[in-house]
Amino acid sequence: MSSSADLNTGVARKSRRSDRRRPRISGLGLALLAPALFLLTLFFFAPVVLTGIFAFTDLSTSTGIGRGQYVVTPNLLRQLGDQGLTEDDATAIASVSITIDEAGIARATEGGVDPDFLSEIADRFAGESFDDPRAFSRELRGLPNAPRRPRELTQTAEYFETSVLNTRFDNPEALTAQLADVAPDVSSDTIAWIVDRSYTGARFTTANFERLATQKETLRLIGNTALYVAATLGLFNVGLGLFLAIVLFYTPKPVTSFYSTLWLLPRITPLVLYAIMWKWFTWEDGFLPIVAEQFGLPSFNYMKGSVVTAWMTMISLNGFIGASFGLILFSGALRAIPMQQLWASEVDGANRWQQVRRIILPQMRWPILFVTSYQTLSLLSSYEQIWLTTNGGPGRTTTVWALEAFTTALSNYTGNLQYGLGAAMALVLVVVGLVLSIIYLRLFKFGELVSRPKIEL
Amino acid sequence: MTFTATRTALTAALLSSVAFGAAAEDYTITVWAGGSGDNATYRWEAIEMAADQMEREAAVRGEELTITVESQAWTGWDDFKQAFTLASEADNAPDIIVSGHEDIGPWSEAGLIVPIEDYVFFDSYPLNTIYPNLIDVASFNGQIWGIPQDAEARVMYWSIPALEAIGWSSDEIDSLPERIESGEFTLYDMLDAVKKMQDEGVLDANMGFAPRVSNGPDYWQFYQSFGGEMSDEDSGKLVVDTAALKGMYQFFVDATEMGVVSGTHLGSEWDVWHQNAASGNYGAWHGGTWHYAQWTNQFGLEDFFNTVQYSLIPAGNDAGRANSITHPLVYLVTSAASEDEAVIAAELIAKASTPEINALHAVKSAHLAISEDETTVPLYAENRWLAAASERLAPSTNAIPNNSDFGVYWTAMFDGLEAAWTGVSSVDDAVAEVETTVKQALGDDVIIR
Repeated sequence: MSSSADLNTGVARKSRRSDRRRPRISGLGLALLAPALFLLTLFFFAPVVLTGIFAFTDLSTSTGIGRGQYVVTPNLLRQLGDQGLTEDDATAIASVSITIDEAGIARATEGGVDPDFLSEIADRFAGESFDDPRAFSRELRGLPNAPRRPRELTQTAEYFETSVLNTRFDNPEALTAQLADVAPDVSSDTIAWIVDRSYTGARFTTANFERLATQKETLRLIGNTALYVAATLGLFNVGLGLFLAIVLFYTPKPVTSFYSTLWLLPRITPLVLYAIMWKWFTWEDGFLPIVAEQFGLPSFNYMKGSVVTAWMTMISLNGFIGASFGLILFSGALRAIPMQQLWASEVDGANRWQQVRRIILPQMRWPILFVTSYQTLSLLSSYEQIWLTTNGGPGRTTTVWALEAFTTALSNYTGNLQYGLGAAMALVLVVVGLVLSIIYLRLFKFGELVSRPKIEL
Repeated sequence: MTFTATRTALTAALLSSVAFGAAAEDYTITVWAGGSGDNATYRWEAIEMAADQMEREAAVRGEELTITVESQAWTGWDDFKQAFTLASEADNAPDIIVSGHEDIGPWSEAGLIVPIEDYVFFDSYPLNTIYPNLIDVASFNGQIWGIPQDAEARVMYWSIPALEAIGWSSDEIDSLPERIESGEFTLYDMLDAVKKMQDEGVLDANMGFAPRVSNGPDYWQFYQSFGGEMSDEDSGKLVVDTAALKGMYQFFVDATEMGVVSGTHLGSEWDVWHQNAASGNYGAWHGGTWHYAQWTNQFGLEDFFNTVQYSLIPAGNDAGRANSITHPLVYLVTSAASEDEAVIAAELIAKASTPEINALHAVKSAHLAISEDETTVPLYAENRWLAAASERLAPSTNAIPNNSDFGVYWTAMFDGLEAAWTGVSSVDDAVAEVETTVKQALGDDVIIR
C-alpha cells in the first residue's frame, strides 16, 4: 500500500513539474479560441485549400464550375477524327433517325402531347422515316392540329427521334447507353474513349504550372512585381513613413497631430474616390499636367501616357496609402525611446542628424522590420489600386502578379475566365507569402519576443 | 456604369372579360445587355416593345398574358461578361442575354445557354428575313444558338481637311476608298500620308494615326491586312499565322517609330479619343460604323460627309487584303430560364427582330440592318450614313470565328500586340510568345503557319 501511495505522489509531483514547462490546454481556452479557429478555417484555410485544388484543374468559363456534363458535338467528332476515329464510326454516331412508330406515339402520349395532333401524325406519317429533324418539324407544322408554339412542336418531334449529337447527359452511363443505341456497330472501346472525351467539365492537370514555369511573361511579371513592391516599400511605406515620423518627432505637439491626421487621409478615403482623385490629378487637363504646362514641362496624361510616369503614379498612389501606416507605427516607437538619451546627447553636443543616426535609427530596427514584412505581404497581394488606375498599362508595363491573377481568373475583355490558371497564380502568391513570413519571423526572432520573461514577476 | 429600367407591361384588363376559359399567364423576363451605351437602349427596349405586342396578340386570341421585362445594361464588356458568368454559376442569371456572337462557343459548352432553334421557327416571319450569313454567325456545333441583334462594319476614317492640306486633290480623296479596296493604297501609304500631315504642321505629333484605344475585334483586321486567317475553313481549327502577326505587330511598331502614334496609345481614354476624332484632330483613325452616332450626337461633329472620308482597313502587304470586321451581337436565351420562361423569351426575341423594331436600334446606334427587309423601312432607308456604309463596307466584312477556344488566342494576340507596341519585347519575341501560349493551351486544335 505504502509503496503504491509513494508511487502516486511521485507521479503527481512529476506532473506538476511538467505542468510548469508545458502550457496547459484548458477547456475554457479552447472555447474562447473556437470562434477564431472557425473563422480562420472558413476564411483562410478553406479558400487556400480550394485555391490549391482549382490550381490543378483547367477550370474556365467553358468548363463551368462543377457543372460538367457529357455531350458529343460535331466539333468533338472532328477533333477525334484527327486522333484516329474512323469516318464510318463518326458518321454512325452523328446519324439521326426519325421513325414514326407505335413506340414513339406511346412516348409522346405519355409526355402529354395533344391526342388530336398525335393521331394526325400517326395517320399521316405512320411507318415513315426521316433523317433531318428540321425537315420533320416542317412536315409536322403542316398538320391542322399542330401546336402554335414552336417549342411544343420540337418537343413532340423529339419523341420520334433517335440521336446522340448535341444532347447533354448528366452521367457517362446514359451517354454510353445512347451511343450503343445510335451506333451499335461502334466498338465498346471506342465508345468508352468518346464518352471520356465528351466530358465538358474541368479535368485535373498540371498544365497551369507548366505554363507559368515556361512562359516569358512570368519573368516580366515577377520583375514588375519586385519593382513595385521594393519601390513602394523603400520610398514610401518605410522611407517616407520614417522620415515623416522623425520630422514630426521634432516638431511641436499641436502641429504634429494635425499633420498626422492629414497623412491618414489617403488611407481613410474610399478607394474608388481616391483613384478618381488621382485621375483628376494626373490626366490631361488635370492638376499636374496644367501646372507642368505653366512651367513649360511636358504635359500629358501622366497615369497612362508614358511608362515612366505610369510607374511613378502607381508607386506614389500606393505609397501615400502605406506611408501613414509607417508613420503611426514609427511615431509610437519613437516615443518609447527614453528622452534622457537624447538630452544626454545634446549635452555632448550632438546635432539632430547625429541623434537620428546614432540613437534613433538603431532603436527602430524592429519597427522597420515589422513594417517591411507586413507591407511586403500586403503589397504582394494588392491589385485594386492598380486595377482602378493604370490597369496594368500602358501596354502591360505596370501589370503585377496579383493583377494578372485577378484578370486571368475573373475579369477580362474576352470573358474567358480561366479560374484554374488564375488559382495557380494565386497559389504561387500564397506560397511566396508563407515563405516570406517564415523568413521574417526568423529575422524578428519571434521566438524571443514571445518567450517567457527571464525574471519572474 | 449600369442602369436599370423596369417596365411593367399593360395588363389586358378590359379584354380579359372575353378571355373565355383561358388561364392567366404571368411572366417576368430579365434581359442583360453588354457593351451598350446611351445610343443602344433598343437592345432591351425592343424586348419591351415585343412584350407589349405579345400581350396584345394574346388578348386578341382571348388569352390573358402579362409579361414584365426587367433590364440591365453594361457599357463595357469585362464586367458584363464577368457578371453573367458568375451569375450563371450562382444560378442567378437573366433569361435573355445580349452579347457578342463569339461567346456562344464557351457559353454553350458550359451549358449556360440553350439553342434558340428549339424555340422559334427560322422559316417564319420575321426570322426568315434575316441575312443567312448572320444566322451562320449565331450558329455553333451545327445548332443555331442565338438571333442576330445587329450588324456593323469597322471603318478607317480620314480627315478630309488634313488630306487637302497636304495637297490631295478632291479626286484623290474621292477615289481613296476604291484605291484601298483594290489593294493599291496600303497601310504603309497611310503612315506616309499622316506623317506628312504632321511634318507640315497640319497635325500635332503622335496625332497622325489614332487606332482604337482598347482591345477589340478591330485588331484582327490588321492581322487580316497582312494575310492572316483566324480559322481554317475546312477543319474549323484556329490558325496562328506567324507571318501575318509579325507584319501586324511590326506595322504598329513602325507607326510608333515614325511618331504618328504614341507607344502608350493603348489604354488611353475613350472620351479623349472620341473628342479628337470628332474635332478633326487626327489624320486617320479607325472605329466602327456606330461611332458615327456618338460623334454626331454627343461629340458635336456636324458636317460628317464633308469632313470625313471612310474606307475599309487597307491591306498591309501583298499577302493581305483590305477588310472590315463585323461583330454582330446576338440575343441568347440562358439555361437559367425555366422551360416556360425560355419559350416566352425566345418568342419575345423573335418579335423584337421584326424590321421595324430592329430599325429603331440600327438608326439610333448607327448599326447595320439584320435583314434585307429592314433596309426598306423608311427610317433606315432615309439614313444617309447607314446606306453609305452598307454599300461601301458591308460587302467586304467578315466575322471572327465562333470557337470556344478563340478567347485564349485573342488574349494572347492582344498581349503580344501590347508588348511589341510599348517596346517591352521585340516583334519576333512577341510573336513567338503568342505561338507558344496558344500551342500550349490548345495543342492539336490550332494550326500554326
